[in-house]
Amino acid sequence: MEPTFRASMNWLHTWTGVVLGGLLFAIFWMGTLSVFDREIDRWMAPATRLVVPDDSLPAEKFRPAIEAAAAAGATMWTIVFPEERQPVYRENYRSKDGFVLRFLDPVTGAALPDPGTLAGTRFIFPFHYSLNLRVWDIGYWLVGIAGMAMLVLCVSGVVIHRKIFTEFFTFRAEKKPRRLILDLHNVTGVLGLPFHFMISLSGLIIFFSIYFPSVWQLPFDGKRELFNRETWGNYSRPKADQAAPLASLDDMVAEARRLWAGEEPFYMRVTNPGDAAAVVQIGRSYRDVVTMRVETLFFDAPSGTLLSRFETAPVVTAQRFISGLHFIQFQHWTLRWIYFALGLVGCVLIATGYLFWLESRRRKHTQLGLRGVSIVDGLTIGSVTGIIAATLSFFVANRLLPADATVLGAGRASLEMWVFYLVWLATFAHAWMRPHRAWIEQCWAIAALAVAAVVLNGITTGDHLGRSLLDSRLQAVGGMDLLLLIGAAVAALTALKLEYRKPDPVRARQHA
Amino acid sequence: MPDYVFLMLLVTVTYLGFALLALSQDRHWHHLGGAYHCPKRVLVLLRSVGYALLVAALVLAVGHEGAGFGSLLWATMLSIGAVAVVCTLTWRARWLRPLARLFHHI
Repeated sequence: MEPTFRASMNWLHTWTGVVLGGLLFAIFWMGTLSVFDREIDRWMAPATRLVVPDDSLPAEKFRPAIEAAAAAGATMWTIVFPEERQPVYRENYRSKDGFVLRFLDPVTGAALPDPGTLAGTRFIFPFHYSLNLRVWDIGYWLVGIAGMAMLVLCVSGVVIHRKIFTEFFTFRAEKKPRRLILDLHNVTGVLGLPFHFMISLSGLIIFFSIYFPSVWQLPFDGKRELFNRETWGNYSRPKADQAAPLASLDDMVAEARRLWAGEEPFYMRVTNPGDAAAVVQIGRSYRDVVTMRVETLFFDAPSGTLLSRFETAPVVTAQRFISGLHFIQFQHWTLRWIYFALGLVGCVLIATGYLFWLESRRRKHTQLGLRGVSIVDGLTIGSVTGIIAATLSFFVANRLLPADATVLGAGRASLEMWVFYLVWLATFAHAWMRPHRAWIEQCWAIAALAVAAVVLNGITTGDHLGRSLLDSRLQAVGGMDLLLLIGAAVAALTALKLEYRKPDPVRARQHA
Repeated sequence: MPDYVFLMLLVTVTYLGFALLALSQDRHWHHLGGAYHCPKRVLVLLRSVGYALLVAALVLAVGHEGAGFGSLLWATMLSIGAVAVVCTLTWRARWLRPLARLFHHI
């Protein structure tokens, strides 16, 4: 036990940061990218670079698709309607042969070719909250621990900060690295505190049913079905085992619009399609509000009459508001960019935390011949520049792999993922093998990969910057290309600065 | 008012609010041409106007965007505005000198 409260908080802050910083950086980095996940989707799946027409397709257009799904043995068929950020229909169901996911053209309703990529919404976004480790929910738990740790770091950081108000606006860029890094850590930590605290807390609240299961297990006696029905309004009824045709889907959609004062539906789902007890479920869009509200209508499929109208109870609405703050599924470009910027501030905060730990111990560890600094050095490089390089390799692989690529039975989408994980692993190995050059070399790698991604996008799709910046249809693509180029410039400048900095005697001795 | 006018106004009001709060601190007051300590009278004035501007930003944001989006926009804009002031003080402090001069002779 440390002698004073501040000293014990200092111990807690230091070691929580060193142990979980790498994981936190990965989560923050992927979360920051997830702000633009659907824009990344369009960059990585060129066939979806489309525009939503003013008049949506009639819902009847999907009757053959529903019938086909029913014939394939699907018990549930879902379609998500297009919107500005995702200009395609997204159809899915589980047939006898497995899960089917298709993207449909917003104008014709025809199926688009398989994009062969998990892109932003299916790789980067789930990585952010589950690390794509689904076995026994390990990923969710690791992210939960990291989120809890972030809250601990926020509170202990405020406690140990000696001059939180006098140094509120202080960043002395001309000082020695150690002072400069601590200033940067303090400034990003204090000024970003409201956002970082809110984003970590809301992240935990989103998954309350995993992290705090007793919250629902106690009142619902451990019955998941009952909890889901009461909370999220999952209406269900047994199959009648008798065929019956579907009533007019357009009438049901029109009724939904009328009940919601003209607002658009967000998705449509048919449960037990083709059966006499089939149910058509239509959910209300939440693009114009912060709250990710759950408002659902359930229609009797054969007659088209309204069976049930669900709206969340007040306490669930509060949870949906907090989730909305985190998910930003609403249409608000200013807030989207602010979230992106503050996410990057969070990345700087975590990286400078590591760098400060290293800079304050480098001299002592070198003198005593300890290995701690070299180990954490490699961990930091792989966690920071490593994951950035891996993400960029994921983008480059996306533009290079042919549509029908397979290696050892793995399809194109899995190969892209493998590139990400292998490059990430390689950056750790590189960092531990070439400690004195790793920062510089990985910064150059980032710059080169980012430029390569932009050039390859131009060559393989023809949507180069000269075209994408002028065409409103390609805004997302042009925006991503521009950010990649800015990132490349920052990485190249960093590499140059590190290359030509004044020699540091301690560092030189350490690597001698 | 059009969205872009609102946004520029919001950024300006938040930025000025934080700039005045920074100016009220001895370190920055001195750095921007003031005496070693910021006089008590000026300090009170700078802080009250600074905080008032931040409150005005909240009123502006909620008025234009509604309670949900407005409060969220305000809360996140505070961080952006404060970071912008820090960057100015670090690399372009002289941009804030005219503002400081307004308060030197009060």
